[in-house]
Amino acid sequence: MGNFRYSFAINSWLLQIYRLSVLVLIAWLVRSHHDRLRVQGDWPITVAEVREFLPDAHRLRVDPGPRGGLFVHDSAGQEIGYAVRTMPHSRDIIGYSGPSDVLVVFDEEDLGRGISIRHSYDTPSHVEDVTLDLLFMESWNGRAWKAISEITDMNEAEIYAVSGATRTSEAVMQSVTHRLAVAEGRESEVTSFSPGRRDGALVAFLLGGCLFAFRKEKQVQKLRWIYSLATIGMLGFWLGDLIAQSLMVGWMESRVPWEATPGLVVFVAAAFLLPWFTKQPVYCQFICPHGNLQRWTRGLLPAGWKRPLPEDGKWIGRWIPAMLLAVVLGVSFLQLDLDLAGIEPFDAYLVKSAGVATIVVAVVGLAISFFFPMAYCKFGCPTGWLLEFVRRRAGKDRFGERDWVGLGLVGIALVLYLVPPEWILG
Amino acid sequence: MKQARTIAIRTIGFLAVAAVAAAILVPPIEAKREERRIRAMLLIVQEGLQNYHVDEEIYPRRMMKGGELVFFLEGEGFLEGGVSNPWTGEPYGEGADPDWLRYRTDALAETYELIVTEPDGETVRFRLDSTENQSLE
Repeated sequence: MGNFRYSFAINSWLLQIYRLSVLVLIAWLVRSHHDRLRVQGDWPITVAEVREFLPDAHRLRVDPGPRGGLFVHDSAGQEIGYAVRTMPHSRDIIGYSGPSDVLVVFDEEDLGRGISIRHSYDTPSHVEDVTLDLLFMESWNGRAWKAISEITDMNEAEIYAVSGATRTSEAVMQSVTHRLAVAEGRESEVTSFSPGRRDGALVAFLLGGCLFAFRKEKQVQKLRWIYSLATIGMLGFWLGDLIAQSLMVGWMESRVPWEATPGLVVFVAAAFLLPWFTKQPVYCQFICPHGNLQRWTRGLLPAGWKRPLPEDGKWIGRWIPAMLLAVVLGVSFLQLDLDLAGIEPFDAYLVKSAGVATIVVAVVGLAISFFFPMAYCKFGCPTGWLLEFVRRRAGKDRFGERDWVGLGLVGIALVLYLVPPEWILG
Repeated sequence: MKQARTIAIRTIGFLAVAAVAAAILVPPIEAKREERRIRAMLLIVQEGLQNYHVDEEIYPRRMMKGGELVFFLEGEGFLEGGVSNPWTGEPYGEGADPDWLRYRTDALAETYELIVTEPDGETVRFRLDSTENQSLE
């Protein structure tokens, strides 16, 4: 990497901010994409649909909040309303022969502007009857979100079913009230902070790693082998809490469960921030059970059996984690049916539930490390690549190979975020 | 000479790594594409069945494979032509192969069931029916 041609000197703190920004930007793109998928589902709401009720609608912005709908903006960027679809929340509300996906549009004062049936699994002729009954379709107009969500008796609310399509229209009514009530209910959901013993154990392992990373006294370091074995046995095989792509992608796609597993959140955050601030790869060098297991294998074979990797081999090997990260982005953005646990060895520590792929990666990685010490850490680990990517370098730092690869990953994420999935998935 | 060899080795190595990454991604992408085609086809066939039910007040009485059902509904005018076999991309009709869609109804033809299985013919991949699984969402 030192002789990389396209590297250039830059203020080291600017570079550190750039590196952290790369990760934050990728995480934001993944999160935003999945918010969009959650809200829009299989049948995304289009501006044209909303324009039927709000003629000035120009752009829709996903609301990741509890309402889970779309803010409607005009061409000046002003928020002029809100749109929400009833599916998939109302998929169990069946009319004559199936559920209906209803679009509900509100104005900027949160008053209903209108509804339309976007798609229905119900009988087409009944759906048509409902759509053509303007009295029914317009009975929602002018009512507030909260008022609609509280409707339990339709007659009392003066919303009447469509004659000849009673069940279909009743299902449409219930879909709308149910969808809005679900959002209201979620708004009052309380999440409680609940640390447990497991969280305490993780924080203890983190503090242990810091101790061995920052205290170089002999008396401290001579105990490191005990800590190393403890990480393999307890952190690996007992807790199974290794930092992995599957874990981080899950958090990015949904949210970070800080109240349910605060210890793990602190653990992961520290794994990134410690090397970013201090240059010390605390997690990779001291805490990671798989790294420690590889360290134990180093002395098991005679020195003559070990092979130095040629420079070209190292260069090629360094692309493996970057390519795996590209695979991770592809799987996440396109929602592919590929278990990310299988591309890393970390789930193999959960022996009872480990899949074949993760066990193969773990065993092969370890076997190779007998001959090429720490080979998996250096040339196979996408999580380690990310932790190394953000690590502050000693001495004069340069914008180098890794930074270009980081930029490439942002580019891939951006393309997958912007390109409609049907372009790739047909 | 040495530099040219290095460039050649690294290029081949890089392409090999990229090929492995592509080999990991391509099968699930293909599976996802097929899944989307199947879902789209199921919704079209379901609409055809519902149109049939509106007219006849029952669903077609006999069990059929997907291609056969599409051929029947098109012939009766309940489905517009041009439905593609999601497994081949060819026009979907009688004798379509492969065809993992099965249609069945109850004794009184009051309900329907559209089931897509894996190629083993037993593992259910998608189920759309008039009683419990009325949507694909």
